[in-house]
Amino acid sequence: MFDLIHEIGQTLRNSRLRTFLTGLAVAWGVFMLIILLGMARGVQNSFNEGMGSGVNNSITVWGGMTGKGYKGYKAGRRIQLKDTDMDAVKKDRNNTNVSQVSTTASNDTAQIVSPRGKVTGFNAVFPGADFDMERVTISAGRKINDPDITNLRRSILISEESMHTLFGNDAKPSEVLGKTLKCMGLSWNIVGVYNHRWMSGSYVPYTTYKAITGFDDNIESLVVNYEGIITEEGGDKAEENLRSTLATTHNFATDDNSAIWTWNRLTQSISSGKALIYLQWATWVIGIFTLLTGIVGVSNIMFVSVRERTHEIGIRRAIGAKPRSILTQILAEAVAITAISGYAGVFLGMLVLQVINLLFGSGEDSPISNPTVDISIAVQVTVVLVIAGALAGLLPALKAIKVKPVEALRDE
Amino acid sequence: MRLYKRMTNLQFTEMDTIISLRDVNKTYPGIVPLHVLKDINLEIQRGELVSIMGASGSGKSTLLNILGILDSYDSGDYVLDGVPIHNLSENRAAELRNHLIGFVFQSFNLINYKNALENVALPLFYQGVSRKTRNALAMEQLERLGLADRATHLPGELSGGQKQRVAIARALVTNPSLILADEPTGALDSHTSKEVMQIFRDLNAEGMTTVIVTHDPNVGAATNRIIRITDGQILPDNV
Repeated sequence: MFDLIHEIGQTLRNSRLRTFLTGLAVAWGVFMLIILLGMARGVQNSFNEGMGSGVNNSITVWGGMTGKGYKGYKAGRRIQLKDTDMDAVKKDRNNTNVSQVSTTASNDTAQIVSPRGKVTGFNAVFPGADFDMERVTISAGRKINDPDITNLRRSILISEESMHTLFGNDAKPSEVLGKTLKCMGLSWNIVGVYNHRWMSGSYVPYTTYKAITGFDDNIESLVVNYEGIITEEGGDKAEENLRSTLATTHNFATDDNSAIWTWNRLTQSISSGKALIYLQWATWVIGIFTLLTGIVGVSNIMFVSVRERTHEIGIRRAIGAKPRSILTQILAEAVAITAISGYAGVFLGMLVLQVINLLFGSGEDSPISNPTVDISIAVQVTVVLVIAGALAGLLPALKAIKVKPVEALRDE
Repeated sequence: MRLYKRMTNLQFTEMDTIISLRDVNKTYPGIVPLHVLKDINLEIQRGELVSIMGASGSGKSTLLNILGILDSYDSGDYVLDGVPIHNLSENRAAELRNHLIGFVFQSFNLINYKNALENVALPLFYQGVSRKTRNALAMEQLERLGLADRATHLPGELSGGQKQRVAIARALVTNPSLILADEPTGALDSHTSKEVMQIFRDLNAEGMTTVIVTHDPNVGAATNRIIRITDGQILPDNV
């Protein structure tokens, strides 16, 4: 094996320019593919972070101001959403595919206090409904869950940033679980710590908050989750039906756009998802064609290499090289070039992606986020390239061993 | 390490013929087929120094290629060192070339990016001999031919005579039964030619069977037996 490697090394060193150009073609192909895949992943990550992952199936409604008169009511009337709206939405048969109706509330002034520090404000949420809470990554513990809602538990989910404010910079998420915080004159149990690039708010169960603050039936927003809606038309229809239900309940015209404000993530995510699929396809197609260019380049250069070395192959065969030895050597050369340069392409690609990530990959408005490729994809690309390199070398190698030694020796 | 052991001493004397050709014919196909070798009958004994002489196109190179198992023949029989040479696979032919024959060519046919030592050691690489052993054996041959101090030189850094001596060392490194030389002095000046021929004579004196194809009468004169070939036919021996 060492001898074969030595032979390959010697042959490749003998034709440095040819080897370099072949390697460059392959490395460039892999480099471009890695960059393309990484950038596509970055756009996708950025999109997912922007959209949230768990609640893309929801429509959120806030009360607004009527823009036109309706059934004797004047324009400019404030629409206040009520607890009863949740039942109304559930019961209206026009609202099909509804999986959950809930609400959220926020308190921007309440102080959450520990012996070492304090943070201000929290959101009261239902599990599976709050857009922000659903997209955070849990470092330790859990999010607000159904038993918290049902049993009116004083559970609280805090961010790592808040944790450091409340317990010091040395605090670790797993260590603060179960500890108690004071808020609104009551003790709250830390059930989870989360990590997010820019979000740092705290979360408590909606029902617990509502029980503490009193029983008025006003709500800030209505969150309706759907299941089984996969088309943009379906998303638009769901929003139309929801608007119709609330128009009936609150007496405003269904075409009065300012009476309520909606955020239809359902339609948004379906259309964005489609765009992402198109982006992924386009990335792979471009990447594969780029790779093909590299592979054709390798094959081409290997053909030239074999043609140039016909006489040398004749000498080797005259002194005892079996066809298999020649075949092995040429294939090994092709594989060595593609593997080494492919690896270099992967390495450089990942390095550049890291630089892009450092320069542009953070910040709320960044169009890309964490633009990297899985190591498995990088390995797969390299393996595919090595196989392709072997195939690229196979035809020239087979051609080389078909030439009779006596004919090869005549070739100068 | 040899796959084809020489016969025992007793058989050696009884079977002294190393090359035996019986009614060998070779025709190159084409619109007008070219019958280049016609009923060749030839026997060369072990230890002979033989030259095959003929004009250009007489068929002497084709004969050498057949003797060297570099080319096939159409009919007849060829036995080399007791091994029938007919319808061989490419792998078997390569094995036999590697173990039985040492080639010396007019244009040296050294690999230009390998140094003298590596060129000489190359046939042993195809026998699977370890790097250390083959370098030692190659150096032994270079020393024998007075080129030990040129071992690390590339062919481009050697004179014509030195290149041919490297080629001879490469031919000898596998301890073959036979040396086949195709115009070995064709690219050399007369002085160097004499030196190279003296090497062949010295090797022959040590018992090495050597067949040289040449059109140079001086080279022919330096051998012990001249086989003349004209129009694909061997003329009677001129010893």
